[in-house]
Amino acid sequence: MIEKVNGKKITVALAGAPNVGKSTVFNLLTGLSQHVGNWPGKTVEQKTGELRRGNLTMNIVDLPGTYSLTANSAEEQIARDYLVKESPDIVVAVLNAASLERNLYLVAELIELSPRLVIALNMMDVAQQQGKKIDDKSLAKGLNIPVIPIAASKNQGIDELLNAIEREYKQPLGSREVKHIEYGSEILKVIDHVAQLLDESMTAPYPKHWTAMKLLEGDTQIHKMVMERATASQVSELDAYLRANESAAVTIATLRYGWVERMMATTQEKPPLGRVSLTETIDRAATHPITGLFVLLLVFGLIFGIVYSIGIPIQKFLEVHLVESGKAFVNSSLPNVPSWVRSLLGNGILSGVGTVLTFIPILILFFAAWAFMEDVGYTARAAFVTDRFMHALGLHGKSVLPLVLGFGCNVPAILGTRIIDSPRSRLLTIIVAPLVPCTGRMAVITLIAAAFFGSAAIFVSIGIVIFSLIMLIITGLIMNRFVVGGEDSALLMELPLYHLPNPRIIGLVTWQNTMAFIKRAGTIILAVSLVIWLLATVPHGDINTSILADIGRFLEPIGKLMGFNWQVMVALLSSFIAKENTIATLGTLLGGQGAGLAAQLKTVLVPASALAFLVVQVLFIPCIATVAAIRQETKSWRWPIFTIVYQLILSFSIGILVFQIGRLL
Amino acid sequence: MDSERTEEYLEAIYKEQTKGDSASTSFLARDLGVSQPAVTDMLKNLENKGLIDYKSSKGATLTDIGVERALGVIRRHRLWERFLTDVLGMKWDKVHDVACKLEHLDVPEVEERLAVILGDTNTCPHGHSIPDKQGNIKQEKAVPLSRFHALQRVNIVAIEEGDSRLLGAIERKGLKPQVVVTILKKNEDGSLELEAGKKKLRINADLATVLLAEPATIRQPGAVKEETTLSKLIAGHSGILKEYTGERNLLGRCLSLGFTPGSVVKMLENFHSGPVLVRVHDTEIALGRDLADHITVTPNGSV
Repeated sequence: MIEKVNGKKITVALAGAPNVGKSTVFNLLTGLSQHVGNWPGKTVEQKTGELRRGNLTMNIVDLPGTYSLTANSAEEQIARDYLVKESPDIVVAVLNAASLERNLYLVAELIELSPRLVIALNMMDVAQQQGKKIDDKSLAKGLNIPVIPIAASKNQGIDELLNAIEREYKQPLGSREVKHIEYGSEILKVIDHVAQLLDESMTAPYPKHWTAMKLLEGDTQIHKMVMERATASQVSELDAYLRANESAAVTIATLRYGWVERMMATTQEKPPLGRVSLTETIDRAATHPITGLFVLLLVFGLIFGIVYSIGIPIQKFLEVHLVESGKAFVNSSLPNVPSWVRSLLGNGILSGVGTVLTFIPILILFFAAWAFMEDVGYTARAAFVTDRFMHALGLHGKSVLPLVLGFGCNVPAILGTRIIDSPRSRLLTIIVAPLVPCTGRMAVITLIAAAFFGSAAIFVSIGIVIFSLIMLIITGLIMNRFVVGGEDSALLMELPLYHLPNPRIIGLVTWQNTMAFIKRAGTIILAVSLVIWLLATVPHGDINTSILADIGRFLEPIGKLMGFNWQVMVALLSSFIAKENTIATLGTLLGGQGAGLAAQLKTVLVPASALAFLVVQVLFIPCIATVAAIRQETKSWRWPIFTIVYQLILSFSIGILVFQIGRLL
Repeated sequence: MDSERTEEYLEAIYKEQTKGDSASTSFLARDLGVSQPAVTDMLKNLENKGLIDYKSSKGATLTDIGVERALGVIRRHRLWERFLTDVLGMKWDKVHDVACKLEHLDVPEVEERLAVILGDTNTCPHGHSIPDKQGNIKQEKAVPLSRFHALQRVNIVAIEEGDSRLLGAIERKGLKPQVVVTILKKNEDGSLELEAGKKKLRINADLATVLLAEPATIRQPGAVKEETTLSKLIAGHSGILKEYTGERNLLGRCLSLGFTPGSVVKMLENFHSGPVLVRVHDTEIALGRDLADHITVTPNGSV
């Protein structure tokens, strides 16, 4: 009877709620052989990977984390559509043993859809620490599903899990009778009635009975699908019946939790009361409205302290030894190549891409800090503490994290907005994120401020940062009120248990994010660097007579209002590649480096126009990598173009204001 | 030694008194296992201390001061029982006798810390209410199971302690407070046939008198119990979820996160106009105030 699985390839889907360590399990199973992409038509990340085991190849699909299979969010819709439409060979439900009660709810839904289920009972170690005794065997018996206790963060139980998957796959389908939930005759009658009003053509590919239940549960996506396919009379009949039975949603959920409780009764011994868990102890401080803010400031302060004290010296080092030495090398060691090639390599690629690359160490540190906070479970706390402030801007508590990441670089900030589950708050966060002064802009600000304001430079720099954040808040308020439509969605999120960080996971996440950044930003920056280089070179090979200079001269009338000459305008334009390029361009145009540049700057700018320049620089259109990220994350050109136009108008009008007022003083 | 004996007397008189009787000397002699003359001596002594009113014809009733003392002992007794089951993990049918010894330890700090460590518990493992620090106690309305009719569905509320053999027998049958049973049949000998969950079982007449129950009614909607919104629950307090009254599109989300009717929810952080933090089904969940405004709860587990 045993089927031969020689050279077989099977699909294994990982399902589970958020915060159950599902991605840890996925990473353990697939290592670096994973493919990260998007689910078709969605901005939800799709991760797949392969695992070979003897003759069996497992194609492992990491489904988005979901609490249920009712489409309350894009994630839930993706997960259940995948289960129905792709029918994976095995579904592994990853559960958190430390909060089993909640996790079993998803199992209650999964057994209605998935024929072959294996349960990975993760975080057994954490449950044990909390004094929860879990009898996995009795759970397996109660469900009639294999239950494998694992501790993914310690790499325990993975082999047993794989054995169970293989065993389950080799069993003929239907040989195992999974115990379904007994909903009771009363609600079954209601479900049956709805099912009778449906026919297969209205529900395919979903099972009819299941569709009936989802309709009663108020699943908007299923509702829309069925109603679109139904005739007018069917629609009115269904609608009337569903409206009359609105309470069924609560009844079904309550019955499921009742089932969960019965499962729990035989599975878990109640932990002794009065034992205060570590999570609870930390949270009394970390989620408190006042001390929580101090904890937040401390955490962010530490992150910035570490990132800048380690990252900035590395960046400076790379700038000197990679970009400068590279240029020197190109100029001195390649005498035989034509000068335009040397210029392309030195001024085009090294200045553009090279400069951006020097910021990678800072980014890596930010990514690592981000992964660390996420892994230990602090992210949700930070979101909770800041939600009250973010809410006023129509943002979400979780918005604070990508925005903080924005101080490193706006690109990961835009990508980081994926953690926000409300689409509206997410879009708002994306729109305001480019107003967070990134490291590149800070480099420019520090240099210019030092050149013009002497001992007051530090205050000017801080003032500019604060000013930029005030503009961010004002922008948020305006966008929230007038520009972005739709309903504000309420905060509803789980605060996961704290646990010790897992270096392997943090390393992997940091690696993935860094590579994604280099791939995404690198190619675009290369392309735009080349275009700008071309504009600065053609037709005579001299930037002063180039097309770029012509554009600068064309824009000079606007510049004059802010006290800028055409060189300054060109420098601003070049910041479109990368913000820090402003300095390099000014250096080229004015002919000077370091202290020399500072002296040259004083010949083209007066203090009032220098201040205007700082303001414009910090609010100016986002760099190309950021624009590309906005395009990618919003799936349309509307928002990147909007952002460019908005910030162009904003920066210039405020720049004019600052210069005109400054001149009078 | 003397105060310990005093407390035993006060406790016994209190229990008899709550049933509507005064405590006769013969009852006390039986209950405490001493001779009748000894009881009479002790009662006179207690009357001199102003703790009871005693008339040899009617028996003893507690004075206000006596009630206060008695409730203090009962509070400690029931807190200790909870401690023994919940913290030390003892079975509930074994803790009464141990608590009888511990209850006489009258150290206010110990009592206070017990209450803190046990959190919101307001009943002992046998289902009796624990008096609060001010000496207020919820009146028990439950009656012995033997008084219900056949085919009635009842909720076991509490178990009369005292006879540890009976407690053991009840425990072995899987009965305990908060179990709902249906009385299938009442036999001539006073024994009852019950259905609990899917299981059928039979209990003898003795057990039927110590099991105290209330009719299991479907919770009456709009009953007079003070009902409030989740957002008004004070940090540290808990309540039982009633319903979600907000927009339907968030209902599914709330339900799947465990906000189902009847679930116990504990407020962890509730400050000004910000979001609230609650614990429900063993997980901490943050939710916006506007959402918390649309979830109704009955505070303090008083359903």
